[in-house]
Amino acid sequence: MEKMGFGNVTSTSKTMKIIDTEKKISVLIVEDDLLIQKIHKVMMTKFGTEVQLAANGKEAVDLFLSGASFDLILTDLEMPIMDGIEATKQLRSMGVTSMIVGVTSRNHDSEIQAFMKSGLNACYVKPLNAEKVTAVLNELKNI
Amino acid sequence: MDRNKQHRQVALMRQSLFDQGLLDEQFVQLEELQDDANPNFVEEVVTLFYRDSARLILNIDQALDKSPLDFAKLDSYMHQFKGSASSIGAKKVKSECTLFREYCKAGNGEGCKRTFQQLKKEYALLRKKLESYFQLARQVGPVETACRRI
Repeated sequence: MEKMGFGNVTSTSKTMKIIDTEKKISVLIVEDDLLIQKIHKVMMTKFGTEVQLAANGKEAVDLFLSGASFDLILTDLEMPIMDGIEATKQLRSMGVTSMIVGVTSRNHDSEIQAFMKSGLNACYVKPLNAEKVTAVLNELKNI
Repeated sequence: MDRNKQHRQVALMRQSLFDQGLLDEQFVQLEELQDDANPNFVEEVVTLFYRDSARLILNIDQALDKSPLDFAKLDSYMHQFKGSASSIGAKKVKSECTLFREYCKAGNGEGCKRTFQQLKKEYALLRKKLESYFQLARQVGPVETACRRI
């Protein structure tokens, strides 16, 4: 599983399981590709989270500026108007402490490193799958 | 044809898509997202893929007609295309995308053009096979247990 930032997290189960939590985890999916939006939204909903979508980094930042908050942000890297790196930097400079996880099709170390440096908690190569989502949500639960 | 036989036919058709290397594990991930709340999820996602990627194919075709070739632009288009193909588990299409990008990095225009022709063949073949599979699956109705054998 290609990831950075969580150390050695393993998941033996490939099946989806709803993470036991008192309240639903709120997730913001920041992604311009409609296909990926659809897949990730259904996937995260199936894991029992509440999902909202933003089509680019600026929409994500504007949501936080309007007072919204999310437990978890899943953000693409390359997006129009504002990319994932800039959005993450802005969110962190605004004092946003949500877990921010990058989800990108870029897989070169230098590109992932640059994305991580912007303030991510972790970064995964697309596509998301049950194993990666389980790892993210378990880590979120432990924070 | 009795129901069990029909279900077996659907299962065999599905398995052949994996055996022929057309699909990978990501397709199974999509199938696992399908439920009563999203009963046609896989077909919807595949339909969305073919609808969105048609634009990219046109862009790439037009870019390949230009001279000199803009390899950075071609690579960018193909990067997008590969991301979408990966998301539906289109294994062979994804391989051709990877090869195309290697030719872009090498500045090999002929390689790009040749690979793109092959990519379009794989893309069309997968579409045809998935359409047949979904049509049969719809006729037969849902199976009670998922078949994960791949």
